[in-house]
Amino acid sequence: MQNLTARVFNHRVAALIQKEFSQVRRDRRVALSLIVPPVLQLLLFGSVLNSKVENLRLGVMDDSRTPQSRELVAVLTDSRSFRLSGYYLSSKQLSDAIARGKIQAGVVIPYDYARTLQRGRQASVQFILNAMDANTATIARNYAEGVIATYGMGLRSSGLRANGRQNDSRGSSHHGQVDLQVSFLYNPGLVSSWFTVTGIFGLLCILNGSLVAAATMVREREAGTIEQLLMSPASTSEIIIAKITPLFFLLCLMALFAISLMRVVFHVPFHGSFLVVAGAAALCLLSGIGIGTFIATFTKSAEQAQLSSFFVNPPVASLSGALTPMEAMPHWMQPLAQFNPIYHFGVIARGSMLKGSGITTLWPHFLALLAFTVVLVSLSVWRFRKQLG
Amino acid sequence: MRRIFAQTKKEFTQILRDRLALALVLVLPLLILLLLGSAISLTVTELPIVVQDFDDSTASRNFIDAFRASNALYVVSWPSNRKPEESFNGNRGRAALIIPAHFERNILRGSSAPVQFLVDGSDANTANLVAGNAIRIIRAYNAGGGADTAPVKAEIRLWYNPGLSSDKYSGPGVFVLAMSMFPPLLASLAMAKEGEKKTILQVYVSNIPAQQYLLGKIIAFTLVGIAESIPLIILLRTYFGLSFVGDPSPFLVATVLYAFCVASFGVMVGALIPSRVAAIQVVALGGFLLVFLLSGLIFPIDNIPPELRWISDFVWGKYYIYVVRDAFLQGSGWPSTWLRNVVIAFMGSIFYFLAWGTMRRMQVKA
Repeated sequence: MQNLTARVFNHRVAALIQKEFSQVRRDRRVALSLIVPPVLQLLLFGSVLNSKVENLRLGVMDDSRTPQSRELVAVLTDSRSFRLSGYYLSSKQLSDAIARGKIQAGVVIPYDYARTLQRGRQASVQFILNAMDANTATIARNYAEGVIATYGMGLRSSGLRANGRQNDSRGSSHHGQVDLQVSFLYNPGLVSSWFTVTGIFGLLCILNGSLVAAATMVREREAGTIEQLLMSPASTSEIIIAKITPLFFLLCLMALFAISLMRVVFHVPFHGSFLVVAGAAALCLLSGIGIGTFIATFTKSAEQAQLSSFFVNPPVASLSGALTPMEAMPHWMQPLAQFNPIYHFGVIARGSMLKGSGITTLWPHFLALLAFTVVLVSLSVWRFRKQLG
Repeated sequence: MRRIFAQTKKEFTQILRDRLALALVLVLPLLILLLLGSAISLTVTELPIVVQDFDDSTASRNFIDAFRASNALYVVSWPSNRKPEESFNGNRGRAALIIPAHFERNILRGSSAPVQFLVDGSDANTANLVAGNAIRIIRAYNAGGGADTAPVKAEIRLWYNPGLSSDKYSGPGVFVLAMSMFPPLLASLAMAKEGEKKTILQVYVSNIPAQQYLLGKIIAFTLVGIAESIPLIILLRTYFGLSFVGDPSPFLVATVLYAFCVASFGVMVGALIPSRVAAIQVVALGGFLLVFLLSGLIFPIDNIPPELRWISDFVWGKYYIYVVRDAFLQGSGWPSTWLRNVVIAFMGSIFYFLAWGTMRRMQVKA
């Protein structure tokens, strides 16, 4: 072991690393492409991908036209979830507006709404939701039900419905009401960017690492200078180590930049230790470099390497739980995520940054990440050596 | 006319010769639709919640049964001597229901019985769904299974997707993503290759005018796009269970127009940037990133901050996604889609004219 470390850091490797660094320095574009696109992507993804359900456009068809029905509309549109978009005179107009996407929800208040309420019977209103987007529709349904239920309770306590109160007291003599006190841990304001940004960060580490690594590895072959390197006394593993070191260094800079961006722009809290996140990011970057080198050994040109990454990146990105919750995937796909470094990184980053968990609870994911890194890097080194040999 | 078709034929010969390109167009989109279409969804149906029952009475067990009966949540057992938050690590639980002692007594007395519900908020959307589901369960439980006594009842109608299946939303979205990525990728590669390998000079010295040369290329890749769409539509129908509702003609017209639009985009990129590596990056940006982020693929466009939202008006995918979702889910037909068809065609023509602008003089740039 000692022998190996001594060999790795002998003068030859140092000289090769220096050569790689000066190549990077000369080609400013590499350094730029390492920093600028990830930063832009992090900003863009973090601010654009927002699942909040707010300000849904609500169309109203009020056949009742009474103070009571106007109050219901006011209650619905007072909430942050819905805003009044327009009144419609017929159900045909309302359904047309929904079909054209002018409004996302519609409420139909029947003509006998106020009368039914005054008589103490249950009045029903129809609430139509465009459910194409299942997620928005689910949350909007919960909101609408909640708003109307609270409104109903307000009516009841204001004594507008004498009969209803009788009913109620009879009901509650049997059992008391359960009062659910919901509290959101770790993210009380339910800021959705905290989830997206931590996931995107892992995605960037892997995808960017692989992209840049593939480009660098292929360049020497394209230019034909690889033979010169092979003629030098350096062994193939030394060449590879020298190639990886400056990339890793630059990518670490990118990661630091991204972490500070998460902190400053998106105000992601940092409850856990910085070292945990940084360590996981470093492992992710190394696996990314491993993937990139692996791709590079199969391709002859930068163009081919880029095209091949189209085959690798979408599955890796989509089966990672980085953007969307894991449980939303079909059941047969969920175990596949265990083989995805981004998934483990996401768990570590969210666990550490948002929940403040330490290494004692996150170690299985660290172990998995480490295993991937070792496997991917050694696999790519093996392929690379085989090709050079 | 003959020259255009000759150009188209030449492109096809080249595409068929390139196996990587063929795999890109015919195999990869199917893979992406299968993976992304079902993986990228936000609606979670079965979420684990842990329950800690400190009352351990008949009433509390009945109450937990109300949660067990829900198909949106499932109850995971959790020892009462461990902190419920620990289950949130590694997502073994998404929320914790904590029933305090004296729950039964409070219920029988007829007073209000507080119950705590801790939700893991790190994933805001899922947290929202869990909390919403729990509140619904409680509301039904409080109504006591008997007649609903609330004065106002909301009768909720879920139109177009009554089963709230998120596959039906993301499937068409990913279909559009695949259509926006691969035909322009091939088109830009073919175009940039001619610039890179200088075979474009042969075109310059031949007697074919720029419009016809470009049109020949665009027609070839439009056909590639249409060919790509067919297996994808079959997959949408079989795996995603989507079929046309109403008149499919707006969708068919839009597909042809969209294939033209993205083919022109690719050809334009290739004409402007005669480098294959750079062209791939531009198409990845325009075809993938913009369409993925700014066309309402997963997250609604209304949620994009207004400073960025205007960009989405220039993203061609946004218009096509609307037409596709309309054809498979809404079925409102031409009245709501004709304008979008026009916009797609218009954007395609702009790309074509931009490409023509750079090629027009058919001369080597000094």
